[in-house]
Amino acid sequence: MPRLLRWVLAIGLAGLLIVAGALLLPFSDWWPGGTVAEISKQEVVNGTAFNRLFPTPAAGEEIVFSQEKRGFSEAKLKRDGVVEALLAISDTTTAPEARAKFAAASETIAGWPLVEQGPQASALLVSDRFQLKVIGQGSGLDPQRRHDLLAGFDLPRIAALEPKRPTRTKALQQPAERQPVLQPAA
Amino acid sequence: MSRTVLERLERLPRRDLTVLALKGISTLVPGGWSNPTSADQLISTVIGSQDPALIRQVRIRADQLSNARAEGYGRALSLYDAVNRSQHATGGLRFLANVTAGLPLLKRISSITPPGDTLQAVDLSLKVGAELLAFTQVNGLPGDSFTDFGVALADYAGEARVRMAALICFDGLLPLGDQALKRLDGLLGAAGSGDLHKLPAYGRMAALIPGRGDAAHLSFLRRGVDQWLGWAGDFVGQLGLSGQKAVVALEGSIGPWQGRMDQLAAFLDAFTDTYAHTGVQAVARRLVERAAAEI
Repeated sequence: MPRLLRWVLAIGLAGLLIVAGALLLPFSDWWPGGTVAEISKQEVVNGTAFNRLFPTPAAGEEIVFSQEKRGFSEAKLKRDGVVEALLAISDTTTAPEARAKFAAASETIAGWPLVEQGPQASALLVSDRFQLKVIGQGSGLDPQRRHDLLAGFDLPRIAALEPKRPTRTKALQQPAERQPVLQPAA
Repeated sequence: MSRTVLERLERLPRRDLTVLALKGISTLVPGGWSNPTSADQLISTVIGSQDPALIRQVRIRADQLSNARAEGYGRALSLYDAVNRSQHATGGLRFLANVTAGLPLLKRISSITPPGDTLQAVDLSLKVGAELLAFTQVNGLPGDSFTDFGVALADYAGEARVRMAALICFDGLLPLGDQALKRLDGLLGAAGSGDLHKLPAYGRMAALIPGRGDAAHLSFLRRGVDQWLGWAGDFVGQLGLSGQKAVVALEGSIGPWQGRMDQLAAFLDAFTDTYAHTGVQAVARRLVERAAAEI
């Protein structure tokens, strides 16, 4: 085989190997980046900040934290070891479409809009940014109990949370946006 | 683009050797196991509603989250896959050694396979280590303290009880005997970096395990296993698990077995995917719980 052909073949094969390696091997999961909604992590409130703001469990109940990510924290409310409800706080900057449903909200808790999603889930939007949710599990919870749980979150401190770096969305930075949409009845 | 978690869930087998083996083990665990493979059904259980519009919303959000690499759900699955491949490889080797030991010409194959117990112990500790790493990928570090973290870990393991029972039985009690959990620490102490390198999964996991070098990795695995052993010991005690009970439970679903227990373990390692199968189901559940809270 001529010398040149051997070189071309070798380089070609090596190139093919590298390309195939990059495309076929399941390394892609480990590449950095790839956040939800392509938002910088700095603009999302870290889940650690949410942990302290969950409701305090009543006697016989227990709160077990289950997930904590950037912009999200979730806990289970347990009674006698049985899961009664999922409680979650999430930062809607990664899911802006979730805010849309609150536009039609007729009820409020402490002035923040409240909506029902199906028979077992209640959601509250605090300061037009943080979504609080209670989802009944197993035998389920009645709406009144879910609303009591939502009211049990530390709402004023949730409303005051800030990300490390402010969001690009201008609307969120205006102080007027931080007020409850409806003032509580005097 | 790799498959999303929910697509993986829907592609899981509904009836094969893996499912039968898990069905068998689930008879030992109160509450049983139903082999959830329908994403829509899983979503509707979590949100307590049959509304197709809501289910679709949750599903779209779940797919978004599982495609976002930084969220870790996909990473957890690739960890499970790595461990699963390693299990097939070592199980296949052990099975081959067992089968060929009786044939005069092929006896040499059994003599080149590594001694079972230490390798098995390292394999189990890699699985437990993968479990811890996958836990942090899926759940982050929930709560504000180590106690919170410990409670969250125990809660996660409790939710996937059949998965843990399968791990303890298939990789502990069957190959290592009823004293497996007590012997594990000693066996790991005797394990060297050579044993670690015989496991194909180690090469893929090495970069993820904290610490530099094989010695540091082994000590991390030992500490991880120590944590897990406390929980696993209680679990075995509560359910009264033993190798013999596991064999009987398995015979109920996959048919009679006349060989030794460690041969059964090698056979299961080589031909079933119990670890990855239940792993996908566990990750899918956590993913859906999150997506339901975010829509």
